[in-house]
Amino acid sequence: MIKLHQLSKKYEKFEAIQSVSLTVNKGEIHGIIGASGAGKSTLLRLMNLLEMPDTGEVEVDGQTLTKLKSRELRQARKSIGMIFQHFNLVANKTVYENVLVSLELSNVPRKERPGEVMECLRFVGLESLMGKYPAQLSGGQKQRVAIARALANKPKVLLCDEPTSSLDPNTTAEVLGVLENVNKSLGVTIVIVSHEMDVIKSICTKVTVMANGKVYETLATKPQGIQKMDNHPQYFVEQLIKEQMDHA
Amino acid sequence: MPEILIQYQAEIVQSVGETFVMVGVSILAAILVGLPVGTLLFLCRKGSILENQFVFSTLNLLVNIIRSFPFLLLVVFLIPFTRIIIGTAIGTAAATVPLAIIAIAHYSRLVEQSLLDVPRGVIEAAISMGASVRQVIFKFLYVEARSGLVLGLTTSIISFISYSTIMGVVGGGGIGDFAIRYGYQQFKTELMMYMIIIMVIFVQLIQFTGMTVARRIDKR
Repeated sequence: MIKLHQLSKKYEKFEAIQSVSLTVNKGEIHGIIGASGAGKSTLLRLMNLLEMPDTGEVEVDGQTLTKLKSRELRQARKSIGMIFQHFNLVANKTVYENVLVSLELSNVPRKERPGEVMECLRFVGLESLMGKYPAQLSGGQKQRVAIARALANKPKVLLCDEPTSSLDPNTTAEVLGVLENVNKSLGVTIVIVSHEMDVIKSICTKVTVMANGKVYETLATKPQGIQKMDNHPQYFVEQLIKEQMDHA
Repeated sequence: MPEILIQYQAEIVQSVGETFVMVGVSILAAILVGLPVGTLLFLCRKGSILENQFVFSTLNLLVNIIRSFPFLLLVVFLIPFTRIIIGTAIGTAAATVPLAIIAIAHYSRLVEQSLLDVPRGVIEAAISMGASVRQVIFKFLYVEARSGLVLGLTTSIISFISYSTIMGVVGGGGIGDFAIRYGYQQFKTELMMYMIIIMVIFVQLIQFTGMTVARRIDKR
């Protein structure tokens, strides 16, 4: 579903991403984990070209995004949903309007919009809060609105940038549950960037470990028990963090 | 009503009318030109979605230059330009030219500042949803910055009233001019005081309205 080929990205002199290639298969919940500064968020933002790579190619759902004209890229982005750590909802729009805007951008016929908005809100369990503004919601509810907004365009892929990092453990579970449901019942391929191992352990089917702008390893997390313990991603991450701490 | 106000009723009504025309044109210029210019300043700055060093630097310099002028000098400096546009440099219509120009420069800065307050993440979300530049502006930026835009306009309108009071130098008239000619130069201090009271009431009303509207539309 997503193929990154030899991507590199520099900020001034800092090499954020160094020649990274990665494949995310259809139907996966693919976690990307690593210490802060490892380049995981940058890698995610390269997947919908929120960041432009210096070299390399990005392919999503058979389309090479890096070769598209800006109009085509905008079209392609509509089938790549994205949610963020700080939700990034429009504070001056109601829950309903926040989801609606997604459909407005895509020129969904006016008559069909209310039904689709409600369908998305029902999916995340927030139809009763449709008239509220984001400031009146809890963090978990805001993230669910963001998920509903991303789903409105019926995406094939959902990119999640630290989706639970500003949430408490209970709401984290609630949001992860919704994401898992998005994957299972809607068949949306999900990529989750997180520095929290629990997030990866609870819902990811694959995990990519990053360090210093490079992919360290990609592993299947399920079915568990097949791999030896020292192959478990948690082991790698802990090793990695330890290594980095030793260097620092 | 005090006798002196009745005595000068016709002149006062005319002055208030002239002030309304001058401030009204300033407001129109601010919204029709200042808002787009301020938006361009925001969009063209480094790291923003239409990053364009040339457009940004040019607009930035122009706005700064206009705002550097002591306003009285700007009025005088613009006389030849005003003649080309209006056909004369004297009168209320002529006075609207420098007022419109300072209005554009003034409000565009405040627009730029309001837009800078919009969280970057909201713009990123818009782009990730496939929004075009026009959609980012109208469906995200202006929605999120709307109370700042209203408060900025409120501040601007009050400045426009202040600017309009000196337009007597080019025969623009208005309450300020009336207060100076009749109240100050003809030693009718009482009349001057009444004019000041009228201005204070105007400013209070505008500020109150602006604040109320801004508060109502702010859901953040």
